Amino acid sequence: MNDDYSSKWGYRLKWLYTLLVVTTLMLPVFFVMYISFNENGFGARDYDFTFEWYGLIFSDLLMMDAITSTLILSAITVIFVVPMGLITAKLYKITQYPLAVVSLMLSPLFVPSDILGAALLVFFKNLNGAFTLFGEWVGASWFDTWFDLGYFSAIVGLIIYTLPYVFVVILITMGRYRQEQTEAARSCGATAWQAFWHVEFPQIRTGVFSSCAFTLILCFNEYTRTSLLKGGFDTFTTVLVSQMLNEGMSEQSYAMSSLVSYIAIAIIGSVIIFTLVRSERLERIARAKAEPLMAS
Amino acid sequence: MTKQINTLDTRRGGSNSTSPFFVAYPRLGFFISKGVFAFPVIFMGLFFALPLALTFVWSVFERTMFWMKPAFTLFAYENFFTSARVDNFLASMGHSSISVLIAFIIGFPIAVFVRRRVPQVAQHRVILLFILPFAVSEIIRIFALRPFLQRNGLVNDVLLKIGVINEPITAILFTPTGVIIGEVMSFLPFIVFSGFLAMEAVPKYVFEICDDLGAGPIRVFIDVIMPLAAPGIFAGSLFIFVNGLGVALLPNILGGPGAVNAGLIATQAISALDFPLAMAVSAIMMATLLGLLYIGHRLFNLTRILTPIS
Repeated sequence: MNDDYSSKWGYRLKWLYTLLVVTTLMLPVFFVMYISFNENGFGARDYDFTFEWYGLIFSDLLMMDAITSTLILSAITVIFVVPMGLITAKLYKITQYPLAVVSLMLSPLFVPSDILGAALLVFFKNLNGAFTLFGEWVGASWFDTWFDLGYFSAIVGLIIYTLPYVFVVILITMGRYRQEQTEAARSCGATAWQAFWHVEFPQIRTGVFSSCAFTLILCFNEYTRTSLLKGGFDTFTTVLVSQMLNEGMSEQSYAMSSLVSYIAIAIIGSVIIFTLVRSERLERIARAKAEPLMAS
Repeated sequence: MTKQINTLDTRRGGSNSTSPFFVAYPRLGFFISKGVFAFPVIFMGLFFALPLALTFVWSVFERTMFWMKPAFTLFAYENFFTSARVDNFLASMGHSSISVLIAFIIGFPIAVFVRRRVPQVAQHRVILLFILPFAVSEIIRIFALRPFLQRNGLVNDVLLKIGVINEPITAILFTPTGVIIGEVMSFLPFIVFSGFLAMEAVPKYVFEICDDLGAGPIRVFIDVIMPLAAPGIFAGSLFIFVNGLGVALLPNILGGPGAVNAGLIATQAISALDFPLAMAVSAIMMATLLGLLYIGHRLFNLTRILTPIS
């Protein structure tokens, strides 16, 4: 019979399989990291360990500028998208049309990056044309650059890309929050903002912070929308791709890719660990509180 | 009754805030809080739903030298359906379907295993592991498959060393196989996530009943898991299918000369400044997506997926 504890080995094998799949997904990345320490580069017969390529990264001014501008782009996106996700999650809880809200917020997941990027590109070009015409009609040049491709359009693209993830993460953390607590705070005389900031927010803080980290990394790593909507080769991924396509995979590209991967894995890893430790602690507190009651 | 009034107050947000400003202008506070809640919805309507809906309009515009002008012509669709593009599109649908199948076979059992055997408190932690690949840029993950799969890459090296093959396999990279491997490697976690959510619809005791009644794993899968978890499975599969059709990087980097999907056709059309064609491809993609969503909803009632989060 295949009941839960019938086969210890079957259970272990399934665990092994799960870990094997995760490792396989990460294997190409690990391989890139391995290559990045080879003095002779990819495909060489001998493997000589070196940090040389990592040293060269920081001398590449083009790449350094690109990383700076990508970080700015990602940071601005986070500043906008996380409050938007939070507001939408609150809206979902109180609206009469939750299905409409959730469909609108989650549907960007199902629209491939290139298709959305292309549609937004044409949309912004049209808007720009319309506003320039309007400016000419009014006799002001003020409207000309409102919807030029650049930071604004790229940020709009990135917000649409990341909002579904932020929304879902915050909504899941909000699942544990009971609306009655807000009502209790309000009837004790708190304003809506105080009730949110002092009662609700502390309970959903983990979700908000993890979605910040996740958004930052998604934006930093995003290529298609940024390259279509930003124009020019001055973000991390666009520089990396142009380097890879024009000069082939240089040793420096391997080192660069690896370095960014270390940082991203470290951030996501620490968020995961932090979340786990926190939930463990909360559970322990909850258990400690529940036990005396259970005993009586 | 009191409770109801309180709920209404909370719903209005800052409407009856006690700050002097809002006491002086109560209606203003009401409109501000309304506006704040409506902002993300308006934003998504304006910059997401509207551009995608307008692709249908722009696709019938007439192409000019560098841009397009309002007209009604089906030239872009004719261009799409009478050239090799439509064959490429159909072929990429085939590849995408194979990727969905492979990802499902590899990934879904993990979701079932985690829900069924892993203790409740640890379940989310195991699933979180599958977020790790997303920490690394898609570009790097896809590019990394090149040194991994190519003629003198890691896979061939290992296979040669252990003596499974005598000469390197060259039929992996720059062929549809390469694209399919890339799709599975990129999108597999999504089938695990959606499968995990879908399995929420299958209570654990159901498995115990199945065991008691002596049903084998295949019977359990077909008669119990499939009907209950169908909406989630469908959503995950649709996600992989559509992204396989639409992400241009995959065929661009891993595919050979013939590997072209809808995303690549659209971006190539934009590089060639043929905007109506790009919009026609986008419109066809949107129509495909909406059609599949409609079929899925009629068959499985997709609103059931939302049960765990509401």
